[in-house]
Amino acid sequence: GDPGLPSSAMYPLEMEGNSNPKTTNKPKYSKFTQQELPACKPLLTPEIVIAAFALIGALFVPIGLASLHASRQVVELVHRYDASCVPVDDKVGFIQNSRTDKTCTVTMTVPKYMKSPIHVYYLIDGFYQNHRRYVRSRSDKQLRYKSAAHLTSDCVPEGDTADHAPIVPCGLVAWSLFNDTYTVRVNGVVTQVNKKDIAWKSDKNNKFGKNIYPSNFQKGRLIGGATLNESIPLSEQEDLIVWMRTAALPTFRKLYGRIEKDINANDNVTVVIQNNYNTYSFGGSKALVLSTASWIGGKNNFIGIAYLTIGGLCLSLAMGFLVLYMVKRRNFGDPSNLSWNR
Amino acid sequence: PGPFRPSRRDQPDPSASERELHEGGEYRAVAVGEPSPEFAGNAVRTAKYSALTFLPRNLFEQFRRLSYVYFLAITVLNQLPQVAVFGRGASVLPLAFVLFVTAVKDAYEDIRRHRSDRRENNRLAAVLAPQTAGEYLPKKWKHIRVGDVVRVASNETLPADMVLLATSDPTGLAHVQTVNLDGETNLKTRYAKQETQLSFSHDGHVAGMLHCERPNRNIYGFQANLEIDGKRVSLGPSNIVLRGCELKNTTWAIGVVVYAGKETKVMLNNSGPPSKRSRLETQLNRETVILSIMLIGMCITASVLAGIWLLNHQRELEFTQFFREKDYTTGKNYNYYGIGMQIFVTFLMAVIVYQVIIPISLYISMELVRLGQAYFMGADNDLYDESSRSRFQCRALNINEDLGQIKYVFSDKTGTLTENKMEFMCASIHGVDYSSGKPACGSSVVVDDLLWTPKMAVRTDPQLLKLLNNDSSNEEAKLVLEFFLALAACNTIVPLVLDTRDPKQKLIDYQGESPDEQALAYAAASYGIVLVERTSGYVVIDVLGDRQRFDILGLHEFDSDRKRMSVIVGCPDKTVKLYVKGADSSMFGIINKSLELDNVRATEAHLHKYSSLGLRTLVVGMRELSQPEFEEWQLAYEKASTAVLGRGNLLRSIAANVECNIHILGASGIEDKLQDGVPEAIESLRQAGMKVWILTGDKQETAISIGYSCKLLTNDMTQIVINNNSKESCKRSLEEALARTKEHRVASSIGSPYPVLASESSGTVLALIVDGNSLVYILETELQEELFKVATECSVVLCCRVAPLQKAGIVALIKNRTDDMTLAIGDGANDVSMIQMADVGVGINGQEGGQAVMASDFSMGQFRFLVPLLLVHGHWNYQRMGYMILYNFYKNATFVLVLFWYVLYTSFTLTTAITEWSSLLYTVLYTSLPTIVVGILDKDLSKSTLLAYPKLYGSGQRNEKYNLNLFVLNMLEALWQSLVVFYIPYFAYRQSTIGMSSLGDLWALASVIVVNMQLAMDIIRWNWIIHVFVWGTIAATVICLFVIDSIWVLPGYGAIYHIMGQGLFWLLLLIIVVTAMVPHFAIKAFSEHFVPSDIQIGREIEKFEALNQVLSVDSYYQ
Repeated sequence: GDPGLPSSAMYPLEMEGNSNPKTTNKPKYSKFTQQELPACKPLLTPEIVIAAFALIGALFVPIGLASLHASRQVVELVHRYDASCVPVDDKVGFIQNSRTDKTCTVTMTVPKYMKSPIHVYYLIDGFYQNHRRYVRSRSDKQLRYKSAAHLTSDCVPEGDTADHAPIVPCGLVAWSLFNDTYTVRVNGVVTQVNKKDIAWKSDKNNKFGKNIYPSNFQKGRLIGGATLNESIPLSEQEDLIVWMRTAALPTFRKLYGRIEKDINANDNVTVVIQNNYNTYSFGGSKALVLSTASWIGGKNNFIGIAYLTIGGLCLSLAMGFLVLYMVKRRNFGDPSNLSWNR
Repeated sequence: PGPFRPSRRDQPDPSASERELHEGGEYRAVAVGEPSPEFAGNAVRTAKYSALTFLPRNLFEQFRRLSYVYFLAITVLNQLPQVAVFGRGASVLPLAFVLFVTAVKDAYEDIRRHRSDRRENNRLAAVLAPQTAGEYLPKKWKHIRVGDVVRVASNETLPADMVLLATSDPTGLAHVQTVNLDGETNLKTRYAKQETQLSFSHDGHVAGMLHCERPNRNIYGFQANLEIDGKRVSLGPSNIVLRGCELKNTTWAIGVVVYAGKETKVMLNNSGPPSKRSRLETQLNRETVILSIMLIGMCITASVLAGIWLLNHQRELEFTQFFREKDYTTGKNYNYYGIGMQIFVTFLMAVIVYQVIIPISLYISMELVRLGQAYFMGADNDLYDESSRSRFQCRALNINEDLGQIKYVFSDKTGTLTENKMEFMCASIHGVDYSSGKPACGSSVVVDDLLWTPKMAVRTDPQLLKLLNNDSSNEEAKLVLEFFLALAACNTIVPLVLDTRDPKQKLIDYQGESPDEQALAYAAASYGIVLVERTSGYVVIDVLGDRQRFDILGLHEFDSDRKRMSVIVGCPDKTVKLYVKGADSSMFGIINKSLELDNVRATEAHLHKYSSLGLRTLVVGMRELSQPEFEEWQLAYEKASTAVLGRGNLLRSIAANVECNIHILGASGIEDKLQDGVPEAIESLRQAGMKVWILTGDKQETAISIGYSCKLLTNDMTQIVINNNSKESCKRSLEEALARTKEHRVASSIGSPYPVLASESSGTVLALIVDGNSLVYILETELQEELFKVATECSVVLCCRVAPLQKAGIVALIKNRTDDMTLAIGDGANDVSMIQMADVGVGINGQEGGQAVMASDFSMGQFRFLVPLLLVHGHWNYQRMGYMILYNFYKNATFVLVLFWYVLYTSFTLTTAITEWSSLLYTVLYTSLPTIVVGILDKDLSKSTLLAYPKLYGSGQRNEKYNLNLFVLNMLEALWQSLVVFYIPYFAYRQSTIGMSSLGDLWALASVIVVNMQLAMDIIRWNWIIHVFVWGTIAATVICLFVIDSIWVLPGYGAIYHIMGQGLFWLLLLIIVVTAMVPHFAIKAFSEHFVPSDIQIGREIEKFEALNQVLSVDSYYQ
């Protein structure tokens, strides 16, 4: 009963509370938390490097040869006609005059047998279908829905007519539709150029409406290109659909139609061209292309050459590394190579 | 005649202290028991936002980040119709997404804060109802106001900062645990003033007027006075209990609220962890500038070319179908403002299109990666300390990668290298050395028929024990007794009595803030002088079975200037004695040497011996005060104690006045045990190319002995000691030292591949030992430069007797003069400045409380964890982060360059063939996730390899994973790959029917595959998570492309289906990926084999060893 020690009796074991062995916050062990997940650790050993290069070479050379072969199978006739079809010096004046006769005939001789289908393309150079002003000048909603005919705000200056009626299809892309026409004769016999199914099915089915008809089209002061038959719905206007798939590069070809008849070697192909389209004002050029097709598309040696080059390069790299590895051997995983041991 | 000459012997002049308060102009008056609405209420609000202010404030906070402003500027630019590159919706999306995610995160955190605020504010406390006689009614915390009298029971949390008025202890004692405040788990003692305690016990109520300082954030300081019954009572830090603390071992306590709510010290101290920027992030700015120049260059190129094109085609624009300059319905030009304006608009558009080259998303990725790295560091079992049950903690989330580049480690000694568990080893009493200690069972005291035993027994010297027990009349025995009495009384230890399983036995646990004092009190107890009880006014000591009460008349606390403490004790025999203990340097200055020269000399010799054994030494002395001396002191002491302002200085000068002419009793030697694994850890760090400096407050001999015991110093080292007392002599010794290092440099060989210390290559190693006294003359003077030169030539540096600010000064010495990264590690309050100064601050969860941890960037339990932290996690973090930054630069540059090449074929009008959605998703989705996952999970080498070859750490120190050369290499790769991605399809599809969208899809897909393949090629450890993310991202890109091309309203409708149906597409994709990767693969294969880095060889060793193990296991089974 010492009055000097009043508080001592009530001290519980409080300060030991945090040493209760149950309350551990030791991190739980798992392969994930300890970053010990099983893992593959590939190393670029000489064998792997040489094998990789050799494999690529062995793969690429045949592919290159095959593509080159396919490209060589393609028969392609290209005839540029923009200059030859305009007899006068003032080319722009000639082409803009609606009264001049713009008929023009070109003749080509087929060097090799061309198997049908023979694709007829027009090739334009210097036309920037990817120009920023141009690309955006269209109204995709208007092309599909009747109720969206008035959505022409992106199409200025080819959006509305002077009396504020919406142009369908509006915009520079549609307005500048290509309008040269070709009539093909093989050895003097008129040959049908089939213009059906030249556009993507997805575009015909879903992008261009079946009940949308052209209206107020090409009625402005400046004629950009073709006019459209107002009784045919947009989904059937395949030339327009093809044209509106804007080309990626300023030199492009677009499908005009297909000749579904074989043409023999040394046959004469005469094409009567209605040279309507104005590429003269921007210094562009036009050409007519007749081409057969192969599994790599049209005539295209580049891909074959590229494969052969890279394949050859890889093979020589494989050889080079082989020589290097033989010349300068190094013990794999030898601690004596560590910088402080050298 | 001192500064406190007795002038008026009555009460301390009330007007004087009143004046002091007024002069400062900073005090608050609180009427006890009268809640005052004048001050802040007790409601706390840690939440930042309310429902109303959330949107504006959160947006404001977010836009304080520069990168977001850049984002916003680009977005706003894009809204101008002339400049619009992307659709409005698409351009706002990324910014909106980032803002939204951050806002959701902030809102979630804020809701949690709101909840905890509400919980806090609605807690109940017993508050004295005004106008009632001692009736305590429950009141919500938020309604408590300054002036309220609150009653707190044991284990309850204090609702506000309160001055204690009375406690259940008749002497007014209360214990609090401040773990919430500073992390210290030991109990702190607080006192109610006798005056209020008495007043309360008399009529159950206290009235008075309290004047205290204005709210401030100093947890350890408080000055106030209380007018009670016409008397003025001074109040100090020991009279206040702070919000957030818990009352312990005290049935109840009553206090008056002085600071409430946001003005409480805990709330004022509520600031986040320090913010530092990592080295990589600073270096990254240089590359950002380069990229900005590239961006501007590209924009200028595009706009100038656009201008030239317009100039050349100026006259054609009117009829050109794809330009159509004029709007014939209005007759004006449409969207064309002349070439100059067109160039400007093109420039702005180019900025929008190419802005991705500065990867804003990188900052977000880096934050996510650091978060992931921090998680794995915290989860690492190797960084978990069993003894303190503490995990590794990342307190600063933005400098993880700095851990991989450390060159200098500055370590505190006590508590960091050593355990800070002190053990009393030997004593020198009156010139006699008693150091042949034997383990003893310790002594117990009998109280109320119960046996009280000190918790720890100390090795006791039998001779000393015999001397004490046999003959107390002996002069020598008297001195010995005085010595132990001084040890037992001259401290701030609080003995706590704990129950044991045996109801007849109790344990005495000495709680105190200084482990030295604990060791001394246990030592005294083992020799039979047992401190049994401490109150504010007296201590009870069981002196060899005889319980005596000593009045504590005054206590001069330890401070780092005086380096000693003293108590003035009224002994049972009515004498008044002053006991002093302190560091030998400070004690020998106040000793009366004339009387007992032999004794002093012997003690000095013993001290030297102890410290060379690595023991911490303290000198103990005493003086008997005569009555006039005591009265003079008492007067001054009381006056100083009631002063509100400047009290600390007053008390210090009083202490200095009375602590003189001391009669030396003896000295003690305390062992400070090394922590586990310290020598090995230091060896690893040094092998890893780090310089370990020890900065300690101990004296030279102790520091050197610790240096030896932790293998920092070895016998073959040449020691350079700088220990001088004047600037001139410091200068001389520095010059000498410099000359010596030069000799070594000459002797060293030239042409080693890596910069090796001159001292190391010549065979002899230099060690520099600097004393704190000399540092006074060196730091922040022109001698600094010389010290730096000497120190950097030495492989070991020991600084002893350094003050906290000097520690920071030494860190700054290195930090400001080199590019090398510094790390400071410490555990105590004296290390805080050094921890904050260093590039990386590491706090040890130790005995000395939580202040170092609070100031640190990383905290952990043991010094030796530094090795896995730096060598393993630091290495990983650095190499991953460096790679991630470079990769992000590279991948965005590749994409932007692909866009740029295309612009050359669009008459420079910034059309993008790649859809705008893909452009925006490129950084967000197509390429971001794999780099984040790789940044968190990839490891170049395994933990065991990194630990086995510490020198591999040098990769980070030499900036091998992130430097300008690598940046240039990456940019060249980006250039090559963008050319490949762009031009192979370009040549393949030239003059073909290819549409813009189709080609755009090919370019987008090819870019994504190429940059992801680049990453795949550089990944070192493929686990399933990385597989999922890398291949999953490519799959996600394909899915996104399909989804985008399935939206009929977009021009690209159906394009991907169409182009993927062609064989050429697949041929192109294959050759693009292969051609793009060939140089990277070839360079990688070449450099890894012919100029292998150490890391590469490490990887081979790993594989080799694994192979060997498999082989040996195979042969074992055969």
